Amino acid sequence: MSDGQVRIVIVGGGTAGWMTAALMSRRLPAADYSVTLVESDEIGIVGVGEATLPHVKIFNDLLGLDEAEFMRATRATFKLGIEFRDWNRPGDKYIHPFGAFGEPWGGLEFQHHWLRAKASGRKVAPLWDYSYAVSAAWANAFDFPDTDPASVRSTYAYAYHFDAGLYAEFLRRWTTARGVTRVEGRVVEIGRDGASGNLQSITLQSGVRIDGDLFVDCTGFRSLLLAGQFGAEWEDWTHWLPCDRALAAPCANSGDFSPYTRSTARPAGWQWRIPLQHRVGNGYVFSSQFASEERARETLLANLEGEAQAEPRLLRFAPGRRVQTWVGNCAAIGLASGFLEPLESTSIFLIQAAAIDLVDLMPTPGMVKSGIDPALPAEFNRLSAMQYERIRDFLILHYFANSRVGEPFWDYLRQMEIPDSLAHKLSLFRSRASLSLYQYGLFARDSWLAVLVGQGIAPQGYDRTADTFDLTMVGDRLDAFADRIASNVASMPSHAAFIANYCLATP
Amino acid sequence: MTDVLLRVVLVGRDAALWLAALSLDRALGATGVSVTAVELPASLHPGDVCRSLPPLEALHNRLGINEADLIRATRGSYTLGWNLAPPAPAAPFFLAHGGYGSPIDNADFFHFWVKARRFGLDVAFEMFSPTAMAARQGRIFLPDSETAKFGRADYGYHLPAIDYAGFLKGLAHRAGLASHRSRSVQVERDEADGVIRAVRLDQGERIEGDLFVDASGAEAALIGRALDQTFEVCAAGSPADRVLVASAPRFSSVPVYSEVRICEGGWLELLATQTTTQVRYAYASAGRSDEEALAEAQTTAQLPLEQARVRAVQTGGRVKPWAANCIAIGAAAHQLDPLFDLDLHSVQLGIVHLISLFPAHRRFEAERDEYNRVLASKLARLRDLAPAFYGLNRFYPAGFWDAARRAGMPRSARHKIGAFRARGQIPPMEDETFAPDFWRAMLVGLGEMPQSWPPAIDLTPPDTLRSALQRMLGFVKDKVLEQPTHDAYLQRLAQGELV
Repeated sequence: MSDGQVRIVIVGGGTAGWMTAALMSRRLPAADYSVTLVESDEIGIVGVGEATLPHVKIFNDLLGLDEAEFMRATRATFKLGIEFRDWNRPGDKYIHPFGAFGEPWGGLEFQHHWLRAKASGRKVAPLWDYSYAVSAAWANAFDFPDTDPASVRSTYAYAYHFDAGLYAEFLRRWTTARGVTRVEGRVVEIGRDGASGNLQSITLQSGVRIDGDLFVDCTGFRSLLLAGQFGAEWEDWTHWLPCDRALAAPCANSGDFSPYTRSTARPAGWQWRIPLQHRVGNGYVFSSQFASEERARETLLANLEGEAQAEPRLLRFAPGRRVQTWVGNCAAIGLASGFLEPLESTSIFLIQAAAIDLVDLMPTPGMVKSGIDPALPAEFNRLSAMQYERIRDFLILHYFANSRVGEPFWDYLRQMEIPDSLAHKLSLFRSRASLSLYQYGLFARDSWLAVLVGQGIAPQGYDRTADTFDLTMVGDRLDAFADRIASNVASMPSHAAFIANYCLATP
Repeated sequence: MTDVLLRVVLVGRDAALWLAALSLDRALGATGVSVTAVELPASLHPGDVCRSLPPLEALHNRLGINEADLIRATRGSYTLGWNLAPPAPAAPFFLAHGGYGSPIDNADFFHFWVKARRFGLDVAFEMFSPTAMAARQGRIFLPDSETAKFGRADYGYHLPAIDYAGFLKGLAHRAGLASHRSRSVQVERDEADGVIRAVRLDQGERIEGDLFVDASGAEAALIGRALDQTFEVCAAGSPADRVLVASAPRFSSVPVYSEVRICEGGWLELLATQTTTQVRYAYASAGRSDEEALAEAQTTAQLPLEQARVRAVQTGGRVKPWAANCIAIGAAAHQLDPLFDLDLHSVQLGIVHLISLFPAHRRFEAERDEYNRVLASKLARLRDLAPAFYGLNRFYPAGFWDAARRAGMPRSARHKIGAFRARGQIPPMEDETFAPDFWRAMLVGLGEMPQSWPPAIDLTPPDTLRSALQRMLGFVKDKVLEQPTHDAYLQRLAQGELV
């Protein structure tokens, strides 16, 4: 194209900024697009999202990263799911796995066969025994999934735990070697076009001015451009997700090298445990309405498996999203676009999804001269809203469906009004174990099934076509499936041994 | 379980009734659910044709229907899509059920086509569709492993409606399904909770049920008459409020597609079968008398028309197709614009979702809500299609087609068109029936062309693109030439050479 280059300016260099820059360097032709990232060493990064979802592997593969190299550089471990402890009631635990429960037989979802066998008096195992990922996780084992779809070892995926600060650094090195310009400095002035209101330039403390055609706001909660300049409207979700603080403190690894994230319910929130190669990340996500910071600090420090390596660091946040995440010539990615607590490790996914959408919908050089077609931001905003709302409902489910009677925080959650979209899913599952599914957006069938069952929702019925299958055959298949999982998991290497062989970081 | 629902009573007619009855019986009969069909007088005329969409084949498979038997028994035919014939000098364009092109470097083929056109490629989008090209040559398209890798090769049917209903009814009788005939039904409702307890037939027989299915078509014998569920007229209107339906003789060579011809007063569709050709002419009563419409249909079809009759069209539907213990399917629940023949598909949607949400017990509010939600969403996506076609047309400056441009479009359709114009994308939406490339073929055919493509496709070197396009064109050409003609295929079917 002969319209010159689109000058893209990414403001903010945390995980969001560098993931966006990395994708752009890979997917935007250099002849038409230049990418400059501005970051300030003075401004810390939040570094949320040390736990990820399997999608991040797709993202890394899209960039063409070497997995072992990336894992060494970020002190990463593998992740097969999230364990929820004491969430339904104290003493309970379950895993939301990255993988399937059983398999559909005769075109009918697995849970109906399982429930029907149970209702017919046949002895069946708990749901968790029919998930390869759950069994492997609880056995502290890891291996790569099999690519042969006939193998039970193909029924799971994996993600990583990594140091998000190191990931951003890794991507910074990788990306700046591929043509992205990095500029250090703090933004002190923002220039806008009087007529269109579009952003034109940013000026740094050093006096350097950077002109741009399209700006990506990766400045975190501050949302320096989208909120700061365009006043993008905030939709608040605190009434559904009352946690608004986190205290984070790493500690030494006690040797429990679990291939999963752990989330343990606490009186006013929950505590995360993320095992990395060199340390364990811990944090207490809590609601300031239900616990003071001092009280939360005590709770966290009393529940660490090793000595804290630093004084707990406080993060404040508000759950919600910007109603529009792309306004004019400014799109926000990461915390600048919205925030959902890290309960389901969705922060990095949201960055990745927005970065991919933005690259697909990126204005052409011609458009930045004649005006960006409003259909491009309209579609970006529609997709962003869809992602946020679907994840929001899934998070609320964990809190709402609890049996922790007598604790004010949990009592409030159990009694709150929930979004219609979630209430509807819950009543359908309660009635017949069916899942009201969607094709686009995060969290599919097995995720919903895991959390619904894990949070103690007991269906009153099941799909009646399950009764048309031979009961003995179904029972035998259930047993055989659980046996296949158990015998395969028994022959897997331990997670620690696998990492030692594959990607151990040199200290 | 003591509180399960055991008795399903269907009240309806024609294909909708028998397809629903058979499907419910097949899916649930073995669980103890009894299915009773009450057949109202047929509303069909000789020469009527059911036009199906590709998913019907899967439903037929679930019922154990053999396709060769079906085509033999009904003397129907296959359709690979719609040929749209705008007024000259505009060129006709094809809306294929099958795919268009193959991805290049994992990116949608369409964008590469748009880019190649910008740089001078003068090859129509449909040239990259094996099914569209086969249709143009009068050939059926039988997929093999190579073509399956290239893209989808889906198809629908043109089924003579009386024969199709008879075929399904025969299957129902052979399956031992209980059935009754009645000219009309009286509905008996529970005074306390309003649910339907029983229907009374014209001979006085009383049939009790737990769940009632209304498959009576526009009459809406249960959902409308008895349960009073209001029919809401669609806001985004259709410019057509009349359809003239007539029969014409069969073509000597049976086209393997449906054809929509645009004329000044509306559009005319030809649905060819082995026995007759059905002609449908959609127009506006404001612009044409029925006599004028007949004359125009005759001129446009260039066929002798018989048994012409006119029916009124009003698009809309019931907000709650499942109300109390009554589920309305097909035209009893939703009336769609006649363009693209979505009626049978709407019947299928009702059946498929009723089965997947068949109540597990007597408290079925959750199932009912989910059914109404899914159907509303599916129907909303179907209702994006015709308004987009009407709204974007450039066929005639005044009259029907001018009214069509001003008829209004749902927001979702406008959003799709916007994203298409800006970037060539069809925004992914839940519950969509038509594939993105079907939408794109329609929009391109109407004269829309995207301004741009996703920048990542520029990373594919021009030589790679050029040779990929040439390879695809060669592949399509070769594969199409290997296919039997539709006529030969139908003949082999008729002679029992194919099973």
